[in-house]
Amino acid sequence: MNRQIIPWSLCAAVAAGGLTGLSIGAAAASTPSLTSSTVLSDLQDPWDMAFLPDGTMFFTEKCRGLSVRHENGDVAHLLGMEGTDGFAETAEDLFCDGQAGMLGVAVDPEFDDNRFVYIYSASRLSEPGSNRVVRMVVNEDLTGVSDRTDIIDDIPYKPQASDHPFGDSGAHNGGRIRFNPGSGNLYVTTGDTHAGHVPQSGTELGGKVLRVDRNGNAAEGNAPPEGFDARIYTYGHRNVQGIAFRPGDHTAVISEHGPWHTDEINVLFAGANSGWDPRPNMAGRGDCPDDYCGYSPNQMEGMDPAERAAWMPMTDFETYPDAMAPAWENNQLSQGISGMAYLAGDQWGDWEDMLVVGYMGIGFGGTPVGQRIDLMDVAEDGSSAEASEFPLPMGSGRFRSLVMGPDGALYVALDEGEIHRISVE
Amino acid sequence: MRMLWGAALAAGLGLGVAAATALALEGDPAAGEARYAENCVNCHGRTGRGMASFPSIQGRDAEFIVDRLLSYRAREMVGANSALMFSLSEELTDQQIVDLAAFISTAFP
Ligand code: HEC
Repeated sequence: MNRQIIPWSLCAAVAAGGLTGLSIGAAAASTPSLTSSTVLSDLQDPWDMAFLPDGTMFFTEKCRGLSVRHENGDVAHLLGMEGTDGFAETAEDLFCDGQAGMLGVAVDPEFDDNRFVYIYSASRLSEPGSNRVVRMVVNEDLTGVSDRTDIIDDIPYKPQASDHPFGDSGAHNGGRIRFNPGSGNLYVTTGDTHAGHVPQSGTELGGKVLRVDRNGNAAEGNAPPEGFDARIYTYGHRNVQGIAFRPGDHTAVISEHGPWHTDEINVLFAGANSGWDPRPNMAGRGDCPDDYCGYSPNQMEGMDPAERAAWMPMTDFETYPDAMAPAWENNQLSQGISGMAYLAGDQWGDWEDMLVVGYMGIGFGGTPVGQRIDLMDVAEDGSSAEASEFPLPMGSGRFRSLVMGPDGALYVALDEGEIHRISVE
Repeated sequence: MRMLWGAALAAGLGLGVAAATALALEGDPAAGEARYAENCVNCHGRTGRGMASFPSIQGRDAEFIVDRLLSYRAREMVGANSALMFSLSEELTDQQIVDLAAFISTAFP
């Protein structure tokens, strides 16, 4: 991991934002100056966006449902969840609970022909609730959806509260869904649902990155261990919140939330184990609250992140010597790493093809809150990354989702209820 | 605007010594606003409506907010995510708590 130096130009911003100060400067000659505008506001926990080539933007709100902003700025509400009104269609089985709800959205690469749009949501159709990837057909004038098909219906959901921080039901769902522009496969990120056995399980789909076709069948080339569900692309994850595909070779790169320490970025390969194993009585640990050691040995108190990392590592190389090494560990801090995207287009100057990564900020136990967007240069072999702070042309916030628009601008969704467009002046 | 907290109120709430001290102070909403912007806004939001795992604190009276912050400072569990509020509130003095309560209760009706 590269440890970093703050470039002078960013010092003021870092100081003002109260950030960690362990960021680096890739800032150099041709760095663009940025501007921003508010695209939508007064949303309720906007979670993700997906674009058509003409600028039409689908977006989800965690407890409301799927809507679309037309090219002319009008918004149509397509698929509402339990208890909502004002939507063209309502699916009473789709619900929100804590972190669970309607999360990711993706548009089929062949949308022109099939008009498929996909969402990731918690559903009550199966007991005790599950996370699903739901495919729908959008009508011609983008005002309604039909032909719902649940292409994946068996991703775990946490039905009951447990004795953990953020221990309410509905925790750790992953939820980002993205099509790989190279292969056309759909990648689905999931979470460990605060269940110790899930990440290393070959049959439970939590704590994984799944790779499937548009019908939800395992993609060709998945190479999980013997006996694993064939849809599993990588496993041993905690709670994967971001995924983007490297320009050029379309390798998948993900972000995952750390447990009071160590947010990670990983460059994926088929069959990789990310090395998260929060089971009790593993790796020298004893029993843990509700059979999940994820926040042990000290759930509710501040503690040196390095000590935590030694006790309950995000990537346990001792137990899994072949585990996939992270490219980035956020200086061993947990700050709510989230959505990410690669900047596309030469308007971005030196930043073209760099990864931008959002952080929502947490601020537990002495860790700086850390709300920001990082600009990252991830080594090709995935072994390291250099990061600097992306100079925000707007106020900071809880950066939940980052998506490149077809117009070459970066769209960011904030938990504050807003979607902003950041572009080069 | 100014707020005055009586000892009778403190006794009525049964909040103990720290509470009685806190409640005997006058809250300064302007100081509360500044602290809110620094320590609270990133979870409870600019209008106090909350987001993600962080609850709305709109429509709460000052008494409720003082009471909650004192509980968190005393490390008493309220909901599942109290640990986040523990570490934040242990930094707060009694004065800062009543300042915050004065601001939140009036700014986020
Ligand atoms: C890191 C995010 C975070 C920050 C920053 C934060 N809070 Fe909270 N707050 C929470 C969470 C989470 C809860 C719910 C805790 C629980 O489960 O008991 C909460 C609960 C509360 C409550 C009780 C709400 C209710 O209805 O019971 C009050 C009042 C409150 N916070 C005030 C504040 C103030 C004042 C600040 C600034 C000093 C602040 N919070 C900063 C996350 C935060």
